[in-house]
Amino acid sequence: MSTQSQTQNRQLHWQRYRYPQSLIQFTLVLLALSALAYSIHFLNIDLQRLLSVFGRVGEVLAERYFPPDLAYISQPGYLQSVIESIQMAYLGAILGMLLAVPLAWFAAWNVTPARRWLYPLARLAIMGSRSVHEMIWTILFVTVLGFGMLPGVCALVMFCIGFAGKLFAEEIEVIDMGQVEAMQANGANPLQTFMYAVWPQVRTAWTGIAIYTWDVAFRAATVVGFFGAGGMGWYLKRNVQQLETERVAAILLSIVLLVLVSELISAWARHRLSRRRAGNQLQNA
Amino acid sequence: MSILHVNQLVARYPGAKTDTLKEISFTVNPADFYAIIGPSGAGKSTLIRCINRLVEPTSGTVRLFDQQITQLPPRQLRQTRRHIGMIFQEFNLVDRMSVMDNVLSGRLGYTSTWRSMLKLFSQADIQRALELLERVGLLEHVDKRADQLSGGQRQRVGIARALMQDPQLLLLDEPTASLDPKIARDVMTLIQQTARDLQIPVLCNIHDVALAKEFCNRILGLQDGRMMFDGETHSMSQQDLDRIYEREVL
Ligand SMILES: Nc1ncnc2c1ncn2[C@@H]1O[C@H](COP(=O)(O)OP(=O)(O)OP(=O)(O)O)[C@@H](O)[C@H]1O
Ligand SMILES: [Mg+2]
Repeated sequence: MSTQSQTQNRQLHWQRYRYPQSLIQFTLVLLALSALAYSIHFLNIDLQRLLSVFGRVGEVLAERYFPPDLAYISQPGYLQSVIESIQMAYLGAILGMLLAVPLAWFAAWNVTPARRWLYPLARLAIMGSRSVHEMIWTILFVTVLGFGMLPGVCALVMFCIGFAGKLFAEEIEVIDMGQVEAMQANGANPLQTFMYAVWPQVRTAWTGIAIYTWDVAFRAATVVGFFGAGGMGWYLKRNVQQLETERVAAILLSIVLLVLVSELISAWARHRLSRRRAGNQLQNA
Repeated sequence: MSILHVNQLVARYPGAKTDTLKEISFTVNPADFYAIIGPSGAGKSTLIRCINRLVEPTSGTVRLFDQQITQLPPRQLRQTRRHIGMIFQEFNLVDRMSVMDNVLSGRLGYTSTWRSMLKLFSQADIQRALELLERVGLLEHVDKRADQLSGGQRQRVGIARALMQDPQLLLLDEPTASLDPKIARDVMTLIQQTARDLQIPVLCNIHDVALAKEFCNRILGLQDGRMMFDGETHSMSQQDLDRIYEREVL
C-alpha cells in the first residue's frame, strides 16, 4: 500500500545515457569516423577506378586464365605434390598440437605447475610462435634447412603451437577449479591433476579447436611451397614466374577445391561434435 | 594423543587489509566430530582449507599426528594430503567422468603417475571402491557419469571418494549446504555413521546450528576470524550462540 502511494507521488527517473559518458562516447565515434574519412582521402582512393578494376579483372581472367590447363594438374608429378602438401599439413598439425598441449597447460594461469618460471616461458613460446607469420616461418626454415618438406613441416609446427596453444590455454583458464582442488586435496601430483580434473573438462572444446587448427594448417600447407618448402606451392611459384597463366589457373582451382573439401569434412566433424555436446547437456538437464 | 593440533593460526589473503583468521588454536581428538560454526564470511572455509593448505596460512602451525603440515615442501605435502579426506559443498566431482573413476581418483596419491594415466588402478583399489559405493548406496550407478546424479547422490560419491583415501582425518566444508533439509540430514547421518565405523575424526564447517548441535560433540564458534567459543556441544549456551552471531559480517 505504502510503496504504491510513494510511486504515485514521486516521479521516477531513468536515463540510458548520462552526461559525461555520452559526450565521451559521441566524441570517440566522431573521431573514428573522421579518421576513416581522412585515410580514404589520404590514400587518394578513387572510387571510379576501384569499380573499373572489377571489369578489368573479369577481362584478364577470361583472356589469360581461361581455360585452366586441367591436363597439367593431372600429371603424376603435380598429384605427388598434392599428396606432399597433405602430408606436410598432417605432420605439422599433429606435431604442433602435441607440443601445444603441454605448453597450453603451463601457460594457463590457473593450473600451471610453476607460476614463477614455467608460466612465463610457455607464454613466451606461444606468443613468439604467433608473432611471426607462418610464411615468414617458412622462409626462415628454408634458409636454415634448405628446400623440401622438412622446413614446411617445421613452419606448420610453429604455426600450430601458436594457434592451438593459445586457444587451448584459454579453454583451460575457464574450467571449474573446484574439480582441480578436489584432486589436489587427494594428494594428486600436477600431471595427475591435469589428467583427472583438467582434461575431462576441456576435451570436447579441444577437439573442436583441433579440427579448426587442421583447417588453417592445411590451407597454409598449400602455399608454403611458394617459399621453397615443398608441396603444391612450389608448382604455383614456378608457373607464376614463367607466366603460364592457364596452368596457374588450374593450380589455383585445385587449391580452392582441396581447401573446400577439407573445410566441408571439418564442418561435418564439428557439427557432429556439437550435436554430441548438445546431447550431453540434454541428459544432464 | 591428539590427531590435529592448530596453534595460533593466522591467514591473510594477498591484497587483503586485515587478517581473515586471527590466532586460531584448537585440538581435534580421535573420537571427535568437530563443528566450526559462524556467520557467513567468518572464515570457516578459510580455516578448513588452511589445514590441507589449499590456502596458505600466514603464520601459526598445523600439526597432524607428529607432522608439521605448515612447513612441508610440495612433495611431502602431497603425501600428507593423502591422509586428509575432503568433502566439498559443491561436491567437486569430475562431471565428465564415471562414478567409479571419481571414487578411484581418491587413490591418485597412492598410484604411480603412469598407472594413473592409463587408469590402471590395483584390484584391491577397485574392490575397495565397490565396497564404499555399496556403503553409500550407489552400487547400481557405478558406470553413470557423475553429472547424471542428483545432489544427494553426488555428495555420496564425494564421501566415497574421500574415504577411498583411507583418511586419518575428514575435512568437510559445508557438506550439506547444497542439499534439501531431508537429504542433508541423511548425508550427515551417513558421514557420522561411517566416521564412527572407520574411526575417523571429523572437522566440519556447518552453518546450520541445529545440525551442528545434533551431530557434533564439539563446537568451535568463529566470528569475523576470531574464535568466540570452543567447547563441548552441551556446554554451549544460548548466550554463546548469540555472541557468535551478534555481528553479521557479509
Ligand atoms: N580467495 C580469496 N581471496 C580473497 N579473499 C577471500 C578469498 N576467499 C575468501 N575470502 C574472504 O575471506 C573472508 C572469509 O571467507 P570464508 O569463505 O572463509 O568465509 P566462510 O565463513 O566460509 O563463509 P560462508 O559461510 O559464506 O561460506 C571473507 O571476507 C571473504 O571475502
Ligand atoms: Mg564457506
